[in-house]
Amino acid sequence: MTLERRDGNLYYYRSVRAGEKVRKVYEGSGELATIAHEREIMNRAVREHERRESAKGLERLETLMAPVEELCEAAEILLRAHLIASGYHRHKGEWRRARGEARTHPRSA
Amino acid sequence: MREAKPGHIPGALELSDETRDRLAELRAVSEKAEAGDKDARRELRRLVRSSSPEVIGRAADIGRRAGRILADTAAGGDPLVEEALYAKLDAMRVEIAGENPTPLEVLLTERVVSLWIFTALLEVLVSAQYHKRLSAGAERSSPSYIVQQSRILDSATRRYLAAMRELARVRKLQANTPAVQQNVQINLDNGR
Repeated sequence: MTLERRDGNLYYYRSVRAGEKVRKVYEGSGELATIAHEREIMNRAVREHERRESAKGLERLETLMAPVEELCEAAEILLRAHLIASGYHRHKGEWRRARGEARTHPRSA
Repeated sequence: MREAKPGHIPGALELSDETRDRLAELRAVSEKAEAGDKDARRELRRLVRSSSPEVIGRAADIGRRAGRILADTAAGGDPLVEEALYAKLDAMRVEIAGENPTPLEVLLTERVVSLWIFTALLEVLVSAQYHKRLSAGAERSSPSYIVQQSRILDSATRRYLAAMRELARVRKLQANTPAVQQNVQINLDNGR
Protein backbone atom coordinates (compact mmCIF):
# COMPACT_ATOMS: atom_id res chain seq x y z
CA MET A 1 0.00 0.00 0.00
CA THR A 2 1.41 3.37 -0.90
CA LEU A 3 0.37 6.92 -0.40
CA GLU A 4 1.98 9.08 -3.05
CA ARG A 5 2.12 12.85 -3.22
CA ARG A 6 2.31 14.35 -6.68
CA ASP A 7 1.85 18.03 -7.53
CA GLY A 8 0.57 18.65 -3.99
CA ASN A 9 -2.16 15.97 -4.31
CA LEU A 10 -2.34 12.64 -2.46
CA TYR A 11 -2.92 9.40 -4.38
CA TYR A 12 -3.42 6.04 -2.76
CA TYR A 13 -2.44 2.78 -4.49
CA ARG A 14 -2.88 -0.82 -3.50
CA SER A 15 -0.28 -3.45 -4.54
CA VAL A 16 -1.75 -6.53 -6.20
CA ARG A 17 0.31 -9.58 -7.06
CA ALA A 18 -0.50 -11.38 -10.30
CA GLY A 19 1.84 -14.36 -10.58
CA GLU A 20 5.35 -13.03 -10.28
CA LYS A 21 4.42 -9.46 -11.10
CA VAL A 22 3.18 -6.87 -8.64
CA ARG A 23 1.11 -4.02 -10.01
CA LYS A 24 -0.30 -0.92 -8.39
CA VAL A 25 -4.06 -0.44 -8.40
CA TYR A 26 -5.38 3.07 -7.97
CA GLU A 27 -7.67 3.33 -4.91
CA GLY A 28 -8.41 7.02 -4.58
CA SER A 29 -7.05 10.49 -4.06
CA GLY A 30 -7.26 13.43 -1.65
CA GLU A 31 -9.12 12.87 1.64
CA LEU A 32 -10.20 9.37 0.54
CA ALA A 33 -6.54 8.41 0.01
CA THR A 34 -5.64 9.51 3.57
CA ILE A 35 -8.58 7.57 5.07
CA ALA A 36 -7.75 4.44 3.07
CA HIS A 37 -4.10 4.69 4.08
CA GLU A 38 -4.90 5.10 7.79
CA ARG A 39 -7.38 2.23 7.64
CA GLU A 40 -4.70 0.04 6.10
CA ILE A 41 -2.18 1.00 8.80
CA MET A 42 -4.73 0.06 11.48
CA ASN A 43 -5.55 -3.23 9.77
CA ARG A 44 -1.88 -4.08 9.56
CA ALA A 45 -1.39 -3.32 13.28
CA VAL A 46 -4.36 -5.55 14.16
CA ARG A 47 -3.05 -8.38 11.96
CA GLU A 48 0.43 -8.06 13.47
CA HIS A 49 -1.01 -8.12 17.01
CA GLU A 50 -3.04 -11.23 16.17
CA ARG A 51 0.00 -12.90 14.63
CA ARG A 52 2.11 -12.17 17.73
CA GLU A 53 -0.64 -13.37 20.09
CA SER A 54 -1.09 -16.56 18.04
CA ALA A 55 2.66 -17.20 18.08
CA LYS A 56 2.74 -16.70 21.87
CA GLY A 57 -0.26 -19.01 22.34
CA LEU A 58 1.27 -21.71 20.17
CA GLU A 59 4.58 -21.40 22.00
CA ARG A 60 2.74 -21.91 25.33
CA LEU A 61 1.02 -24.97 23.89
CA GLU A 62 4.31 -26.36 22.60
CA THR A 63 5.81 -25.90 26.05
CA LEU A 64 2.96 -27.92 27.54
CA MET A 65 3.13 -30.49 24.78
CA ALA A 66 6.90 -31.06 24.88
CA PRO A 67 7.05 -33.40 27.90
CA VAL A 68 4.03 -35.36 26.62
CA GLU A 69 5.81 -35.78 23.29
CA GLU A 70 8.97 -36.85 25.07
CA LEU A 71 6.99 -39.47 26.98
CA CYS A 72 5.24 -40.69 23.80
CA GLU A 73 8.50 -41.02 21.93
CA ALA A 74 10.17 -42.89 24.79
CA ALA A 75 7.14 -45.18 25.13
CA GLU A 76 7.22 -46.02 21.43
CA ILE A 77 10.94 -46.84 21.45
CA LEU A 78 10.63 -48.99 24.57
CA LEU A 79 7.49 -50.75 23.37
CA ARG A 80 9.14 -51.65 20.10
CA ALA A 81 12.34 -52.81 21.86
CA HIS A 82 10.35 -54.98 24.27
CA LEU A 83 8.28 -56.59 21.57
CA ILE A 84 11.22 -57.32 19.27
CA ALA A 85 13.25 -58.64 22.20
CA SER A 86 10.31 -60.88 23.09
CA GLY A 87 10.32 -62.44 19.62
CA TYR A 88 7.68 -60.37 17.87
CA HIS A 89 7.93 -58.80 14.44
CA ARG A 90 5.73 -56.44 12.53
CA HIS A 91 3.68 -57.75 9.65
CA LYS A 92 1.61 -55.11 7.82
CA GLY A 93 1.55 -52.95 10.94
CA GLU A 94 0.50 -55.87 13.15
CA TRP A 95 2.83 -57.34 15.76
CA ARG A 96 3.23 -61.10 15.33
CA ARG A 97 5.41 -63.70 16.92
CA ALA A 98 8.14 -65.02 14.64
CA ARG A 99 7.96 -68.76 14.03
CA GLY A 100 10.42 -70.81 16.03
CA GLU A 101 11.28 -67.94 18.36
CA ALA A 102 11.99 -68.79 21.97
CA ARG A 103 9.03 -67.69 24.05
CA THR A 104 9.97 -64.93 26.38
CA HIS A 105 7.45 -62.67 27.97
CA PRO A 106 7.38 -58.89 27.61
CA ARG A 107 6.94 -58.93 31.39
CA SER A 108 10.44 -60.30 31.71
CA ALA A 109 11.87 -57.15 30.21
CA MET B 1 15.24 -37.10 20.15
CA ARG B 2 13.63 -33.64 20.03
CA GLU B 3 15.72 -30.52 20.24
CA ALA B 4 15.04 -28.23 23.21
CA LYS B 5 12.89 -25.28 22.11
CA PRO B 6 12.90 -21.76 23.48
CA GLY B 7 10.46 -21.59 26.37
CA HIS B 8 10.70 -25.32 26.92
CA ILE B 9 10.37 -26.33 30.58
CA PRO B 10 13.84 -27.53 31.55
CA GLY B 11 15.11 -30.02 34.10
CA ALA B 12 12.42 -32.11 35.72
CA LEU B 13 10.38 -32.33 32.55
CA GLU B 14 13.16 -33.50 30.30
CA LEU B 15 14.83 -36.86 30.10
CA SER B 16 18.48 -36.76 31.08
CA ASP B 17 21.11 -37.06 28.37
CA GLU B 18 22.00 -40.49 29.73
CA THR B 19 18.39 -41.71 29.40
CA ARG B 20 18.17 -40.28 25.89
CA ASP B 21 21.39 -42.05 24.95
CA ARG B 22 19.95 -45.33 26.21
CA LEU B 23 16.75 -44.77 24.26
CA ALA B 24 18.77 -43.99 21.14
CA GLU B 25 20.74 -47.20 21.69
CA LEU B 26 17.55 -49.22 22.17
CA ARG B 27 16.10 -47.74 19.00
CA ALA B 28 19.23 -48.42 16.95
CA VAL B 29 19.54 -52.03 18.14
CA SER B 30 15.76 -52.57 17.66
CA GLU B 31 16.07 -51.46 14.05
CA LYS B 32 18.93 -53.88 13.42
CA ALA B 33 17.06 -56.71 15.14
CA GLU B 34 13.90 -55.96 13.18
CA ALA B 35 15.93 -56.15 9.99
CA GLY B 36 16.84 -59.73 10.91
CA ASP B 37 20.20 -59.35 12.66
CA LYS B 38 20.23 -62.19 15.22
CA ASP B 39 23.19 -60.79 17.15
CA ALA B 40 21.30 -57.52 17.44
CA ARG B 41 18.29 -59.37 18.84
CA ARG B 42 20.45 -60.99 21.51
CA GLU B 43 21.97 -57.62 22.29
CA LEU B 44 18.50 -56.08 22.41
CA ARG B 45 17.34 -58.67 24.97
CA ARG B 46 20.33 -57.83 27.12
CA LEU B 47 19.69 -54.10 26.78
CA VAL B 48 15.98 -54.44 27.50
CA ARG B 49 16.70 -56.41 30.67
CA SER B 50 19.53 -54.21 31.87
CA SER B 51 18.43 -50.71 31.06
CA SER B 52 14.75 -50.52 30.22
CA PRO B 53 13.30 -50.59 33.79
CA GLU B 54 15.30 -47.50 34.68
CA VAL B 55 14.51 -45.74 31.41
CA ILE B 56 10.83 -46.64 31.80
CA GLY B 57 10.89 -45.27 35.34
CA ARG B 58 12.35 -41.97 34.20
CA ALA B 59 10.02 -41.60 31.23
CA ALA B 60 6.98 -42.45 33.38
CA ASP B 61 8.15 -39.87 35.91
CA ILE B 62 8.26 -37.20 33.17
CA GLY B 63 4.70 -38.21 32.28
CA ARG B 64 3.50 -37.82 35.88
CA ARG B 65 5.11 -34.39 36.24
CA ALA B 66 3.77 -33.27 32.88
CA GLY B 67 0.30 -34.49 33.93
CA ARG B 68 0.39 -32.28 37.00
CA ILE B 69 1.50 -29.22 35.04
CA LEU B 70 -1.26 -29.80 32.51
CA ALA B 71 -3.76 -30.22 35.34
CA ASP B 72 -2.55 -26.93 36.89
CA THR B 73 -3.01 -25.17 33.56
CA ALA B 74 -6.43 -26.72 32.93
CA ALA B 75 -7.56 -25.74 36.45
CA GLY B 76 -6.75 -22.09 35.70
CA GLY B 77 -5.74 -21.38 39.29
CA ASP B 78 -8.84 -22.89 40.90
CA PRO B 79 -7.47 -25.09 43.74
CA LEU B 80 -10.62 -27.21 43.88
CA VAL B 81 -10.47 -28.05 40.17
CA GLU B 82 -6.73 -28.64 40.51
CA GLU B 83 -7.24 -31.19 43.30
CA ALA B 84 -10.10 -32.81 41.42
CA LEU B 85 -7.89 -33.20 38.34
CA TYR B 86 -5.02 -34.67 40.38
CA ALA B 87 -7.44 -37.15 41.92
CA LYS B 88 -8.84 -37.96 38.47
CA LEU B 89 -5.32 -38.57 37.10
CA ASP B 90 -4.46 -40.85 40.02
CA ALA B 91 -7.73 -42.76 39.65
CA MET B 92 -7.11 -43.17 35.92
CA ARG B 93 -3.59 -44.49 36.58
CA VAL B 94 -4.86 -47.11 39.01
CA GLU B 95 -7.80 -48.08 36.82
CA ILE B 96 -5.89 -48.28 33.54
CA ALA B 97 -2.70 -49.89 34.88
CA GLY B 98 -4.68 -52.53 36.78
CA GLU B 99 -3.23 -54.87 39.35
CA ASN B 100 0.48 -55.70 39.25
CA PRO B 101 1.27 -53.78 36.09
CA THR B 102 4.53 -54.48 34.31
CA PRO B 103 6.94 -51.52 33.99
CA LEU B 104 5.95 -51.28 30.33
CA GLU B 105 2.26 -51.16 31.26
CA VAL B 106 3.03 -48.41 33.79
CA LEU B 107 4.73 -46.38 31.05
CA LEU B 108 1.95 -46.95 28.51
CA THR B 109 -0.61 -46.05 31.17
CA GLU B 110 1.27 -42.84 31.88
CA ARG B 111 1.20 -42.04 28.18
CA VAL B 112 -2.58 -42.58 28.03
CA VAL B 113 -3.14 -40.43 31.14
CA SER B 114 -0.89 -37.59 29.91
CA LEU B 115 -2.56 -37.55 26.51
CA TRP B 116 -5.99 -37.57 28.16
CA ILE B 117 -5.26 -34.49 30.27
CA PHE B 118 -3.57 -32.76 27.34
CA THR B 119 -6.59 -33.46 25.13
CA ALA B 120 -8.95 -32.27 27.86
CA LEU B 121 -6.96 -29.03 28.24
CA LEU B 122 -7.00 -28.39 24.49
CA GLU B 123 -10.74 -29.02 24.35
CA VAL B 124 -11.24 -26.42 27.08
CA LEU B 125 -9.03 -23.90 25.25
CA VAL B 126 -10.72 -24.44 21.90
CA SER B 127 -14.27 -24.43 23.25
CA ALA B 128 -13.54 -21.25 25.28
CA GLN B 129 -12.95 -19.45 21.99
CA TYR B 130 -16.46 -20.26 20.85
CA HIS B 131 -18.01 -18.83 23.99
CA LYS B 132 -20.20 -15.80 23.32
CA ARG B 133 -18.69 -13.85 26.19
CA LEU B 134 -15.04 -14.14 27.07
CA SER B 135 -13.87 -13.62 30.64
CA ALA B 136 -12.75 -10.12 31.63
CA GLY B 137 -9.50 -9.08 29.98
CA ALA B 138 -9.49 -12.05 27.60
CA GLU B 139 -9.18 -11.36 23.90
CA ARG B 140 -10.81 -13.43 21.22
CA SER B 141 -8.15 -15.35 19.28
CA SER B 142 -7.71 -14.99 15.56
CA PRO B 143 -9.45 -17.59 13.36
CA SER B 144 -6.07 -18.92 12.17
CA TYR B 145 -4.99 -19.52 15.77
CA ILE B 146 -8.23 -21.37 16.55
CA VAL B 147 -7.68 -23.51 13.43
CA GLN B 148 -4.14 -24.33 14.57
CA GLN B 149 -5.37 -25.15 18.08
CA SER B 150 -8.03 -27.42 16.60
CA ARG B 151 -5.41 -29.23 14.51
CA ILE B 152 -3.28 -29.84 17.62
CA LEU B 153 -6.41 -31.11 19.37
CA ASP B 154 -7.16 -33.49 16.48
CA SER B 155 -3.61 -34.82 16.54
CA ALA B 156 -3.65 -35.21 20.36
CA THR B 157 -7.00 -37.05 20.20
CA ARG B 158 -5.67 -39.46 17.57
CA ARG B 159 -2.56 -40.10 19.67
CA TYR B 160 -4.65 -40.61 22.80
CA LEU B 161 -6.80 -43.23 21.04
CA ALA B 162 -3.69 -44.86 19.53
CA ALA B 163 -2.05 -45.00 22.98
CA MET B 164 -5.08 -46.84 24.39
CA ARG B 165 -5.07 -49.31 21.47
CA GLU B 166 -1.33 -49.88 21.98
CA LEU B 167 -1.80 -50.68 25.65
CA ALA B 168 -4.63 -53.07 24.84
CA ARG B 169 -2.46 -54.74 22.20
CA VAL B 170 0.46 -55.21 24.60
CA ARG B 171 -1.89 -56.77 27.14
CA LYS B 172 -3.28 -59.11 24.52
CA LEU B 173 0.23 -60.15 23.49
CA GLN B 174 1.24 -60.63 27.13
CA ALA B 175 -1.84 -62.72 27.79
CA ASN B 176 -0.79 -65.12 25.01
CA THR B 177 2.71 -65.52 26.35
CA PRO B 178 3.83 -67.45 29.43
CA ALA B 179 5.23 -65.05 31.95
CA VAL B 180 8.81 -64.90 33.14
CA GLN B 181 8.30 -62.29 35.82
CA GLN B 182 11.10 -59.97 36.73
CA ASN B 183 10.18 -57.88 39.71
CA VAL B 184 10.84 -54.23 39.08
CA GLN B 185 9.22 -51.62 41.26
CA ILE B 186 8.44 -48.18 39.92
CA ASN B 187 7.31 -45.72 42.51
CA LEU B 188 4.02 -44.22 41.30
CA ASP B 189 4.33 -41.32 43.76
CA ASN B 190 7.77 -40.34 42.52
CA GLY B 191 6.64 -37.29 40.62
CA ARG B 192 4.54 -35.71 43.36
